[in-house]
Order: sequence, then structure tokens, then C-alpha cells
Amino acid sequence: MKSMITIIKEQFRSIYLILRLSAFEMKSANTNNYLGRVWEVLNPLISLGIYYFIFGVGVRGGRSIIMENGQSVSFFSWLITGMSFWFFANPSIGNSSRSIYSRIGLISKMSFPMSVIPSYVIMANFYSHLMLVTVVTIYLQFTGFPLTIKFLQIPYFMISALAFLFSLSLITSTLSTIVRDFQQIVYSILKMLLYLTPLLWHTNKLVMSGVDLTFVLKLNPLTYLAEGYRSALLGTTWYEYAHPYYTMYFWGLVLILFFIGSILHLKFRDRFVDYL
Amino acid sequence: MNETVIVKDVFKKYKMHTKPSEKLLDIILPGGYGEDFFALQNVSFTAGKGDVVGLVGVNGSGKSTLSNIIAGVIPPTSGSVTTIGKTSVIAISSGLDNNLTGRENIELKCLMLGFKKKEILEMEPEIIDFADIGKFIDQPVKKYSSGMKSRLGFAISVTVDPDILIIDEALSVGDQTFAQKSQNKMFEFREKGKTIFFVSHSMAQVKEFCKTAIWLEYGEIKGYGLCDDVIPEYEEFLKFYKSMSKEEQKIYREKVMQKQSGLLVNNF
Repeated sequence: MKSMITIIKEQFRSIYLILRLSAFEMKSANTNNYLGRVWEVLNPLISLGIYYFIFGVGVRGGRSIIMENGQSVSFFSWLITGMSFWFFANPSIGNSSRSIYSRIGLISKMSFPMSVIPSYVIMANFYSHLMLVTVVTIYLQFTGFPLTIKFLQIPYFMISALAFLFSLSLITSTLSTIVRDFQQIVYSILKMLLYLTPLLWHTNKLVMSGVDLTFVLKLNPLTYLAEGYRSALLGTTWYEYAHPYYTMYFWGLVLILFFIGSILHLKFRDRFVDYL
Repeated sequence: MNETVIVKDVFKKYKMHTKPSEKLLDIILPGGYGEDFFALQNVSFTAGKGDVVGLVGVNGSGKSTLSNIIAGVIPPTSGSVTTIGKTSVIAISSGLDNNLTGRENIELKCLMLGFKKKEILEMEPEIIDFADIGKFIDQPVKKYSSGMKSRLGFAISVTVDPDILIIDEALSVGDQTFAQKSQNKMFEFREKGKTIFFVSHSMAQVKEFCKTAIWLEYGEIKGYGLCDDVIPEYEEFLKFYKSMSKEEQKIYREKVMQKQSGLLVNNF
């Protein structure tokens, strides 16, 4: 409990620092490209194109998807709304996990809280996320999904995503600093998660030898976030309100991750340099 | 209270591992695993305001470990280090982001050191002026010459006005003009009553600059006192060490290795 409060205090005390450092981080990542920040949007669009071609045209044969409220949504709109979240979660989890050990040489001589490192790395990805969500929203205006009042869920799901990613990053960044192999595990899990989250293929029923396994997909907290973004952008349901138990499960999980993460982080951070 | 740095009974132990599996065992087993290596053993001293302390010793004697411990970069295994005021380390690898411009690096480093936006804006011209890199300040740091990089790093570290300054062999870079400039800055700091630790292999620089000296040998303090007493002793040792035959040097080193693995230490 005490360690959770310490971490939260450090975050709030360093908000300006986090914002500036994340801006530098993004700038530093893009200086070598002539198109600069445009790549932050261009890259996801290229991937979306290929996913649409394989899963939309190839696998589904162009059939559209029926949402919870009975509305029919074209596969492409379904794909981009979920993926707009994935393109934030994927690099955030990967980068934040390696954030501490890859920067410790630069940072250890400074006197600021180490818990700020994963958060500014996540924030750097958040900026391009905002750009991508804007592009997707504009596209939806012209394809039959104008803004609805349900778009107001977006800030809620953004905050939920940030809370989840940060709690997770406290654990992963600590573990991968101590045992570098952990980073490889993170990458493999990320590859699996792309298929274990309703991003590329849609299902209402996943029956294996008579047992409905749909709930297994729902145990993945990313499912909650992806479906939430989708409902908000397409204006189909008030997702968090329609699924109160799922919302409780998600926040309970965030709390547990944050609890473990802050204890781990505080326990080891004085010795991070020794693990280099 | 004049003391700004109090180092008491500091030990720094590393584990030596030959295989990654040993490293893993070290993390898992409660008692750790691997051969001990003491980078520092039983180091105690105090330094006060206006002290300029030279840290001397042959390679691998623990000078950098000690300066990192004073700076708070690495924690000691046991013992305590108390520092009063802000510490700043100047090392040759100054830790600048190669993709960002000099100006952005100044902001970045100052932010990380905990300065406010307004303070940084005030310090910026002073840093640029001291580093003296002209138009290159708005170029990415990767285009800098090595001299420019270290000048920028040095300029940032001295302008942030630390109370305790640790200079790790950093005065040896840069040309004569810059060396003179940085030396003047050091003298200014000394006048202001700051504590300076000076790591160097150049005995001439140490003699000119320092009042007291710590002679580290294989992790232990071999001599500590006024520069005029310690440095001649150390130079004597260097001469003696050089005069040894290769065989003798080897035996000497082995003995020292044993000592650092904690085998010959029985006073604790």
C-alpha cells in the first residue's frame, strides 16, 4: 500500500518532466526519417492494409460483423477501431519493458525517480496514438459512423489503457532489467496477444469439445480495452456500463498489477545499476 | 558543520560469474551464487566544504567505483555514504542523446537534474557560452566532434551549480584553451567552498589542484592525507611497481586478487 502511494506521488510530482521527456523521446526516434512523425501514422496504415487484405478479404470473404446491439459493421471499420488501440498497446508494452535497462546508463547519474522512465516511454507512444485515433475518427465520419454521444467513452478508455499499461510496465521493466531474457518473453507474448485479442478475427462462440471458451479470451484485459475503443468509435454501446462485471474485473486486475509492480520496482530500483 | 561528504565503512561487493546460468542462480538463491569480488573494502573518509580531494591509484583500484558511490549512482553493499547538497559527476562519456540537438540536450539533462523550465531558460545561454560550440548548438549531437561533446557535457555539469562535484578524468579532454577555462572554473568552485573530487592519472594536475588525496589500491585506502604526503608515496610505489620483473608483477597481482575475493580479509 505504501509503495503504491510512493509511486503515485512520484508520477504526479513529475508530470511536467514526463511530458517533456516523452516529447524528446518521440523527436529522437524520428529524426533520421525525412517524413519524420508522419511515419507514426503511416506505419500502422500499411499494416492495416495487409491485415484487411488477409483477414477481411481472404478469410472472411468481405462479410461484415454484427455488433452487440445488432448493428452491422463492415470488417474494415471493425478492424481499424480495434487496431487503433493495439497500435498503442503493442509498442507501449514492448518499449516500456525495455525502458529501464536501455536507458540506465544515461539516467542513473541523474536524481529523479526511476518510476518516471516507463511512464514517459508510454506517453511518447500516446501522442502518436492520439494522432491515429483522430485519423480513424475522421475516416469513420465519411463511412457511415458519425460521432455519437458514445464517443465520450474515449477519454475513459484512454485513461484505462494508460493505467493498465503503466501498472504492467512497472513489473515488466523491473523483471527485464534483472533477467534480460524476460524481454524476449514479453515480445513472444505480444505476438500471441495480437491473435488472442479480438482484433483480427471476430467470434461470438469459441466451442472446443463442447466447452464454450469465449471467457478465456475475455480474461485478457486487452479485450476489454479493444472492445471499449470499438464501441466508442463506432457508437454502438456504452461498453463499460453494459458490462459492469467485466469493468470490475479489469480494474481489479489493474490494481493487482499496480500493487505487485510498485513493490517490485521499489524493492529493486536502487540496485538496477548492478544488473547491467 | 563543515562536512559535506561522510563515507563510512563502505564495502562494494560484486559477484563474478562465468556463465549466464550462474547469474540466474545468483538471483534465485537467497545467499547468492558466484565468486565474490570486492571492488571496495572498508573505505572511510570525510571531506568538507572547500576541500579538493584527489583520487589516485592504478587501473582497477576502485577509483571510479568510489566516485560513483559518492555520486549515488550505485549503492554500497554495506556501510554508509552521507552527502549534503547536490552532486554532479563529470565523466568522459557525458550521456548525451545523439539524435537530439545540443540545445535540446541541455534542456533534457537539466530537466533530469530536477530544474524548472524557467531556471533552464536562464542557464541555457550560460551553458552555450561556456561550451563554446557556436552554430553547432542547433545540430544533432552525433555531428559533434568528441571535443565538442565533452565540452557540452562539462559545461552542463558545471553550470548546474552543484555542491559536490566529481570529475572523473574529464579534464584531460579538450584543447589547451578549454582545459584552462575549465581549470579556472574549478578554482572558482574551490573558492566558493564546494567539495570537489578529482580522479586523475596526471600527478601534475593532482598536485596543482588538490589539497588532500586518497590513494586507493585494490579497493582499499592505502594512503589518505595531505597531497604533499600521499602523492610522493604513491609515485614511489609506481616506481617500485614498474621496476618489478614481469614474474614479480604477476605474483603481486595474484595476491591482490586473493585479497579482493575476500580471502585474506579477516577483520570483520
